[in-house]
Amino acid sequence: MKDTLVLTQRALREALRTPEAVIPTLFIPLFFLVVNVGQAGKIFPGSSTAFLHGQGYAGFQLPSSLLLGASFGSAAMFLVEDIEGGYFDRLRAAPISRTALVLSRLLAESVKALVLTSAMVAISLLFGVRIASGIGGFLLILLLNGSWAVVYAGFMQLIALRTRSGAATQSGGLVFFPLLFLTPSFVPRDMLTRPMEIAASCNPVTYIMEGLRTLVLGDVDWGSVGLAFAVVGALGVVMLFLNVRMIRNYD
Amino acid sequence: MTWAVEATGLRKTYPSGDGAVEAVRGVDLQVRTGEVFGFLGPNGAGKSTTVRMLTTLLTITGGTASVAGVDVAKDPDGVRRKIGVALQEAGLDPRQTGRELLTLQARLFGNTTAEAKDIAQAQLELVDLVEAGDRRVKGYSGGMKRRLDLASALVHEPEVLFLDEPTTGLDPASRLTIWDEVRRINGHGTTVFLTTQYLEEADQLCDRLAIIDGGRIVLEGTPAELKADLRQRKGLQADPTLDDVFLDATGRTRTKVAGEVAEVQA
Repeated sequence: MKDTLVLTQRALREALRTPEAVIPTLFIPLFFLVVNVGQAGKIFPGSSTAFLHGQGYAGFQLPSSLLLGASFGSAAMFLVEDIEGGYFDRLRAAPISRTALVLSRLLAESVKALVLTSAMVAISLLFGVRIASGIGGFLLILLLNGSWAVVYAGFMQLIALRTRSGAATQSGGLVFFPLLFLTPSFVPRDMLTRPMEIAASCNPVTYIMEGLRTLVLGDVDWGSVGLAFAVVGALGVVMLFLNVRMIRNYD
Repeated sequence: MTWAVEATGLRKTYPSGDGAVEAVRGVDLQVRTGEVFGFLGPNGAGKSTTVRMLTTLLTITGGTASVAGVDVAKDPDGVRRKIGVALQEAGLDPRQTGRELLTLQARLFGNTTAEAKDIAQAQLELVDLVEAGDRRVKGYSGGMKRRLDLASALVHEPEVLFLDEPTTGLDPASRLTIWDEVRRINGHGTTVFLTTQYLEEADQLCDRLAIIDGGRIVLEGTPAELKADLRQRKGLQADPTLDDVFLDATGRTRTKVAGEVAEVQA
C-alpha cells in the first residue's frame, strides 16, 4: 500500500506541474454546459417543466458536464509518456507490487476528479444550480463522479498498456462521446424516441447520469442513486481486474 | 563458485504473424561476482532482450536464469531487490526534479522518507548533480540525464548493475565520466553487466566479455584472450583490435559493415 501512495503522490505532482493538461478538463465541460443551456434553456423553462423540479435547465445539464469532466482519462496519457520515455521500465524494475503501478494512477485520477467536480459544482451555482439533496447529496455526487473517473481512466489505461501508443490511447478516449450522447442527456429517458430509449437503457453511463441528476435536482430517488453506485462499482471491479491482469502479463 | 549472473539455455520467442520470432536462442552465460562483464553484439543480435529477461522486464520463454543467486522466473521481486538497472533510454521522469526522482526511487526500495532524502542527497553528490538537483529533469543535458539515471539505479546499493548501452549518444567527455563512474561502482564490489556497441568501451572497462549474434553466444573470454586467439588463428603479425575480434566472431567484414552504413545513409 505504501508503494501505491508514494506513486499516487508522484502522479498528483505530475498533474499539478502540467496545468495545460488539467485546465481543458474543467473548461470544456463548462463550455458544453453553457452552450447546451443556451440552446435548450428556453425550451425547458424551470417554472413549467416538471422534470426540472423547479430548477433551471442548467441543473439538468450539470451531470452531463460532470461526467464529461471525469472522462478525459489523462492518467493514461501520462502512463504512455512513462512507457515511451522508459520511466515505466524503471518502476517495473523496482520490487513493488505490480498492482501499485496501475492503482496509483487510478487513485490520483479520483483525487483530480474530486477537485474538478467540486470546482464545476461551485461554478454551476453561478448559473442558478442548487444541489437540492444538500451537503450529503453533494458528497455522494463527488463519490459517484470520482468513481466514474476511476472507471474511465481504467479503461484508458488498458488501451495505453495494450498499445503503448499515445495516438491510440487518445483515440480510445473519444469512445466517451458516443456514450455521452446515447444517454438521456437533454431530456429524461421516457421522453426519448423508442430506439434512443433502448440504446440509452443499454448504456451504463445513463444510470450514472440519472443517479447524479436525482442528487442535483432533488426529489431524491434512492433507487436511481443505488443503481448508479451499483453500475459504477461493477464497472470499477471489472476495470481493476483487467488492469491488474494486464500489468501482470506486461512484457 | 557463486555466479553474479548465470543463464542456461535462455530463450525468448515473440509471437509473429507468420509463426514466431526467436530473439534469443539458447544463451548460456556465467558472470563472476565483482567483474565488469561486457555483452556485445550487432543491432538486433539479442543483447537488450537478454538484459530485459535478466532484469525481470521480459518473461523468459525457455531456459533458466539467476541473478545474485536468485531465480529470475521464480522470484522476480527477489532479483529486483538485488539489481540496479539503467537501460538504453535513460528512464527518467522529466517533470520531477533530480532530487525528487532519487527520493521516490529510494522510497520504492523500502526506505522511509527521511532515509530516502539522505540517500538522494548522497547520490546527487556522487554524480556531481547537487546544483542541478532541484531543477526538473527535462532541463538536463544528455550527460546529466545519464548520470542521474545511473544514480537512480544505485539508490539501494545493488549487488549487480545492468547497464544497457550507457554511453550511446553521449559526447566524449560525458562518455569518459560514465566510464569513471562504472570503474568506481565496480571498485566498491558491484558486479557490472554492460552492453555496448562501442568496442573501445568494452576494451577499456570489461574484465571479460561475450559476443552475441543471431540470438546465440558466439564468443566469450577476456579481451586479451580473444585478441590472442584471433592472432594465432589468422597468423597475424600484431595483436588485432577488439573490432577485428568482433567482426570475425559475427562473420561480418569491414566491407559489409561499411555497405550497411552506406545503405542506412541512403
